[in-house]
Amino acid sequence: MKLPYYPGCTLKDRTSQLETTALACAEKLDVQLEEMPNWTCCGGVYPVSETKIVNLVAPFRILKEVQEAGDDKLVTICDFCYNVLKRTNLIIREDSVKRTRLNLFLSDDDRRWAASGRRVGEGQEYDGGVKVLHYLEMLRDELGFEAVAAAVSKPLEDLKIAPYYGCNLLRPPLEMDLDDPEDPRIMEDFLGSMGAQVVEFPYRIECCGSFLSLSSPQIARRLCHTILESARKNGADAIMLSCPMCFYNLEQKQSEFARHFPGFRPMPVFFFSQLLALALGLDPASLGFERNFADPVPLLKEKHLV
Amino acid sequence: MFEPKIVCFLCKWCTYAGADLAGTSRLEYAPNGVNIRIMCSSRVDPEHILWAFDRGADGVFVGGCHPGDCHYQDGNYKTLRRIELFQRVLKQFGLENGRLRLEWVSAAEGRKFAQLMDEFTEQIRALGPIKLGSRKGGQDGGSTKKEETS
Amino acid sequence: MKRIGVFVCGCGINIAKTVDVKKVVEEIGHYPGVVYATDYQYMCSDPGQKMIQEAIEREHLDGIIVAACSPTLHEFTFRRASEAVGLNPYQCEIANIREQCSWVHQDKEIATAKAIKITKSIIEKERLNDSLSPISVFMTRRALVIGGGIAGIQAALDIADSGYEVILVEKEPSIGGHMAQLSETFPTLDCSQCILTPKMVEISHHPKIKLLAYSEVVNVGGYVGNFNVKILKKPRYVKEDLCNNCGECFKVCPVVVPNEFERGLGSRYAIYIPFPQAVPSICTIDADACLGLFPLACNKCKEVCEPNAVDYDMKPEIIEETVGAIVVATGYDLLPSEELKEYGNGRNPDIIDGLHFERLLSASGPTQGVIRRPSDGKVPKEVVFVQCAGSRDPEKHLPYCSKFCCMYTAKHALLYKHRVPDGQPYIFYIDVRTAGKGYEEFYHRVSEQEGVVYLRGKVSKIFQDGDGLMVWGVDTLTGKKVEITADMVVLATGAVPAEGSKKLFANLKLACDENGFLSEAHPKLRPVESLTPGFFLAGAAQGPRDIPETVAQAGGAASKVIGMFSQEMLLHDPIVAVVDENLCSGCKICISACPYDAREFDEEKNIVRVNELLCEGCGACVAACPSGATQQQNITDDQIREMVKVVLGE
Repeated sequence: MKLPYYPGCTLKDRTSQLETTALACAEKLDVQLEEMPNWTCCGGVYPVSETKIVNLVAPFRILKEVQEAGDDKLVTICDFCYNVLKRTNLIIREDSVKRTRLNLFLSDDDRRWAASGRRVGEGQEYDGGVKVLHYLEMLRDELGFEAVAAAVSKPLEDLKIAPYYGCNLLRPPLEMDLDDPEDPRIMEDFLGSMGAQVVEFPYRIECCGSFLSLSSPQIARRLCHTILESARKNGADAIMLSCPMCFYNLEQKQSEFARHFPGFRPMPVFFFSQLLALALGLDPASLGFERNFADPVPLLKEKHLV
Repeated sequence: MFEPKIVCFLCKWCTYAGADLAGTSRLEYAPNGVNIRIMCSSRVDPEHILWAFDRGADGVFVGGCHPGDCHYQDGNYKTLRRIELFQRVLKQFGLENGRLRLEWVSAAEGRKFAQLMDEFTEQIRALGPIKLGSRKGGQDGGSTKKEETS
Repeated sequence: MKRIGVFVCGCGINIAKTVDVKKVVEEIGHYPGVVYATDYQYMCSDPGQKMIQEAIEREHLDGIIVAACSPTLHEFTFRRASEAVGLNPYQCEIANIREQCSWVHQDKEIATAKAIKITKSIIEKERLNDSLSPISVFMTRRALVIGGGIAGIQAALDIADSGYEVILVEKEPSIGGHMAQLSETFPTLDCSQCILTPKMVEISHHPKIKLLAYSEVVNVGGYVGNFNVKILKKPRYVKEDLCNNCGECFKVCPVVVPNEFERGLGSRYAIYIPFPQAVPSICTIDADACLGLFPLACNKCKEVCEPNAVDYDMKPEIIEETVGAIVVATGYDLLPSEELKEYGNGRNPDIIDGLHFERLLSASGPTQGVIRRPSDGKVPKEVVFVQCAGSRDPEKHLPYCSKFCCMYTAKHALLYKHRVPDGQPYIFYIDVRTAGKGYEEFYHRVSEQEGVVYLRGKVSKIFQDGDGLMVWGVDTLTGKKVEITADMVVLATGAVPAEGSKKLFANLKLACDENGFLSEAHPKLRPVESLTPGFFLAGAAQGPRDIPETVAQAGGAASKVIGMFSQEMLLHDPIVAVVDENLCSGCKICISACPYDAREFDEEKNIVRVNELLCEGCGACVAACPSGATQQQNITDDQIREMVKVVLGE
């Protein structure tokens, strides 16, 4: 299976371990993810947070290029990119005014367009036809979790993992339509396919605070601390997540927790792709655990996974 | 001044009752339309409308119950579909779409009925008489089902 | 040619003021076919009617036109007058020259001309009118009631008490419905069982009522007055006439399963009666649970059954009945908690719904009326009641208000407080709706005197938090987020049409609203009738409603049935569609145009026939017929064409 793939900025920088492990796993699962050429930033949260049409140009261009290359699917790994691209796509599909204006904006030459006699809305315009897939969604819908289970060489049997969804993967629900926003199963099923023990905890779909960690860090800290403690209370050894922002708030920021929450013990946080890599038998040393604040290696050693 | 001739097909339960209410409320309106009472707007065969135009009508008005209010479950939806389609046919005959009008008037909308009658009369007056070269008047030229089949 | 008489009414000055009545008479008098024309000041008065009658007789009129007010007002009057002197009432037509002429135009000349046009158009219609008589149908004076809850029970008793036979069909082993599950009823706190059980017993003893419990209606054919009903009688595996409900079989049955009547909070055996007061008071074997039915592994109940009532070989049975009218009283179910993902997804045993709580409150329930939470039997000290759970939430769940939840939640909180005096009930609400006799007073008593905390706001999430349940909500009156650690949560889940009703209604071809509840013929003026003639509605199948309203409505439906049965014959308006067999090409387009299924295809002759008893006379099929084979009686295409001609001044 060959699919075009959009990485996004964060995966090339702060959380490169997410990309490297995800790509390595894809190779192992016989999925060729081809990084699309000429990709740009998706625009972060701006395209869908404001009504200004110009903010939509960046994600629009990315999607249009996919279609022009003859593909009808695009895989993303970062939750933010997934959210932005998917919602932009919906706007393109449903809002004909914005669709036309964005197409005009990106048409090579307005005069040539006019000279061709085509009316706006005809011809090579992008119509929102590309299906944006999250990596997890690709595993579930394109490959199937059974295929993942079949490829697992080192089941994560003793590992008690609490899956954490955050917001961007599921909400707004009508637009994202990945899973039930109140009772999602995709991460649980994914963990199940790798043989891990799933720990359900009530905070799995609560917000981590997102960008509040920059403007009001105390709020994000409190939210993340509650999430981690709730997972721990429900018996989790570690948390699994997919979003680089959540990783930053829930993992990297643990360095500050001890100062604010006496008695806090760090808790390992995995990207889903790191666990998949482990289960598929990839070299644990290549999974980027050195970038974690809460070192997961002792836990993995204890469970005989490294 | 051009006084258009208008035929109105009104469903018994809503629009005809609305027209009665306009009377009870003593609302004056243009006298050009003459009403024909039918049980349901879905009784209107496009052919009836053609007859009217063929016989010298300048406009035809069809009145039914509001969507969801039909006494016969969904007759007005059938009317809606038929009239929409028939507008296209009329266009091919060279008749302006404004000459045929479908409206929903409930039994409580006497005022709406009166306003519509004024409005539609003005609309037809603005369009003027039908300019068709070969309009047959007087003779029984309109094709009818009976004649076709017998 | 028909001899037509025209009678122009001046209506005092109502018509005469703007229409020159004399001129109308003069002009119409010369119109072809008109042999007599006259005017009078008040046609509808006795002398006016007498004048018409005399003219009909004297002039030997074949048809008359009364040019007067709207036919809505006096068509009936004049038709009756005509009939009295031997003129077929369908030969009498009204030209509406008041509401649609004299009252809406000022210019006398224009109004007079228009009145003449209107009258002539009606003359043209009348010229082609046929003499019709109402279609009379023999009817079976026996009613079918579907659903044995309080609505069905009440309707069946009311009809049977008037002397007509009733067949009452209930899909569960016992009648009683949800009302039998309730503990006490608001606002009077009557014991629900105590007021219901006598009615249930009356059903079983009533000589005019045939009770078919554990049965389902599978098919209804025919039409009003003569429905052919097929009822599936599910096998109980216990002979009804032999079982004496001694209970010996329960003692030996080895299979224990959750009891549906207790909503899973209690258990029963594979051979069971759902609750002690069940009617009919007969055991049933649950085929899915019993070991003995298919692999002959166990026959303990058969061994101990003294009257030898157990019969493992019983087969489903189809019973066919003919009835004249059908009352649909299929009731409601609560929205399954699984739909409420944010409220525990139906997986947490301590998050229960209102009917669960009724069973906990019931003295005959699984806990003998002691409030214990399902997970560990502990008496809950903090209970959160969530109103509108799934209701009034068009985005995610049900858009409508379920009407009885405000009241039953208030009752729940009150009864809880009485049973657990040191407990604390909290109620989250959006609005409290108490439109009923004594309801507002009851709510005030609960909210002001009983120590119940009402919090105005919605609950966003409920989840297990250690031993308790964390309830996240908001109090919109203080604007604060509220977190309550509760021992138990009771969801006042919205009511939805009873399970299986969608299929049943589709089978009966009954119109439903967008939420699956039955549609009434008119929301204000015909609230207990269905749009399909012969069907009547009772209870929550039509929309959520409480017991008093259900009983009133069931009585209303019953009286409609009784009214119908008390007629000698069923009369049907003859303005129906007819098919000219010689013209019909059998294209079947009319079949899809008919909203009443009144058309059927005759395979042999390759034509379509009209069942004139089902035809309501809308005429949609006539317009749809491409060959002109279908006509509507007295509103034929020929009549319309002639009317159009005259309207346009030919």
